[in-house]
Amino acid sequence: MSAMNCPMSSSTGGVRSWTSTTSVSAWGKRIQKEMAEFNLDPPHDCSAGPKGDNLYHWVSTIIGPPGSPYQGGIFFLDITFPCDYPFKPPKVLFKTRIYHCNVDSNGNVSLDILKDGWSPALTVSKVLLAIRSLFTNPDPYNPLVPSIAHLYLSDRVKHDEVATEWTMRFAR
Amino acid sequence: MARDEFQSPENTRHADKQSSRISNVETMESLLSPRFRSAAAMAGWDEETLLLASMIIEDTPERESKHKRRASQQFKTPPASSRRKRRAQQQNPSPIPVGAICLNEEENEDANGKKNKNTKVAVTEEKKKEEGEGSLPMESGVSSSAPVLPCMDRLREELSCAICLEICFEPSTTTCGHSFCKKCLKSAADKCGKRCPKCRQLISNGRSCTVNTVLWNTIQLLFPDEVEARKIAVKHTREANQKSPKEDGYSTRNVAFDSAITGGNISRRARRESSQEEDAAMGRRRNSSWRRTRIGPSQEEDAALALRLQREEFMDAFGRVADDEPRISLYSARSNLRAMASRARELRLRGR
Repeated sequence: MSAMNCPMSSSTGGVRSWTSTTSVSAWGKRIQKEMAEFNLDPPHDCSAGPKGDNLYHWVSTIIGPPGSPYQGGIFFLDITFPCDYPFKPPKVLFKTRIYHCNVDSNGNVSLDILKDGWSPALTVSKVLLAIRSLFTNPDPYNPLVPSIAHLYLSDRVKHDEVATEWTMRFAR
Repeated sequence: MARDEFQSPENTRHADKQSSRISNVETMESLLSPRFRSAAAMAGWDEETLLLASMIIEDTPERESKHKRRASQQFKTPPASSRRKRRAQQQNPSPIPVGAICLNEEENEDANGKKNKNTKVAVTEEKKKEEGEGSLPMESGVSSSAPVLPCMDRLREELSCAICLEICFEPSTTTCGHSFCKKCLKSAADKCGKRCPKCRQLISNGRSCTVNTVLWNTIQLLFPDEVEARKIAVKHTREANQKSPKEDGYSTRNVAFDSAITGGNISRRARRESSQEEDAAMGRRRNSSWRRTRIGPSQEEDAALALRLQREEFMDAFGRVADDEPRISLYSARSNLRAMASRARELRLRGR
């Protein structure tokens, strides 16, 4: 009867090693479901989908919102889901360079809901919406790059100029 | 054997549902069930009056679901099929001529085929129209009393668990009023801290996850197919979890038994197995009847307890040896058997 266990583990791709087979079938489905829902009703100026066969690795794009210095830029993001996904936040990494006080040169994002503020009721589309709102409203009081935050607070015009220049250079 | 016992309620329930579905489909053909018809005949009602009466009852849409439920639970009358035909009646006040036309066609097909063809086409067109209009209630009938409401998508969204994004399975409601699958909420409390995933309010106690019965029953009524699929999935995972240790014990025991048995003992073994199967089947049948009466959430412990009680009751009633007790004595019996078998073989060899 050990054959009964095999199809369950193979159906989920078998790329990662799992702690238990039960959690895979239950929570692997959630990502599929999320993908379907995302495609049905994608958030404004956002797109996302699995990179290849691996459901746990997504690529996403966010278009710089109009009215911000990032307007017109297309920013690529990597989203990696942990194996206990809805209970642990996905890891989001900027693949496109951006001049932003909450995104460092490696692409890490400092966003509350991607760390302690995570809740299993959040979804990728909500995360992307939060990141998109970060474009128009940076959080200079919890910066990842203090120098940019400082400039943002002291000389907003200069900050926006540099941000626009970076957007033109890297995000087009 | 033990595994059989465990599986039986779920299996038979599924089978029951299927069979009821089949019977539903079958009785779709006839307007009223034979039992009801005979009852009606005894009372001296003809079909037309019955139809008219039921049409009056179902005129108000709010009462439809109620009526349907009652019908599906207590009577053998398939509600949706009769509705569909009733619709047909509403459109076409005399449905009997349809049959008459068909008969005519068979009898004098060659005589005036053209005219009949025309009428036939008209009839089929009409039928199509009826089916097209009655497609919604018909679907509901097929999926065993799943009502199709206009706001089904909204309902689906509302009744979905925010954690697994599926229809809530055994929903549990937090003190702040948000509902999740019981299992999801437990996992969330374990892994993300005791806060509501929706509003981050403190959940009083992660252990006191109770199923919101009203909500669960509502979900079961609204989305029977989803719930059934999920139940099967849960059963499979449960089986996968419980299988390995039990299976091992069973197989090793069996191997030992097999090696001990030779010659005429095989027949005895076969008899034993068949009687076991019989027992299992009996138990299953009893379980299914018990299951049918139970509507609330299936709780594993409850089920197990009830199962055991039933088995005991059953064994007492039929004066047979209980199945659980000989299992202990089975070990000694087996060793005896083994000794007997070896002795028999020795005797036979000596005899030759």
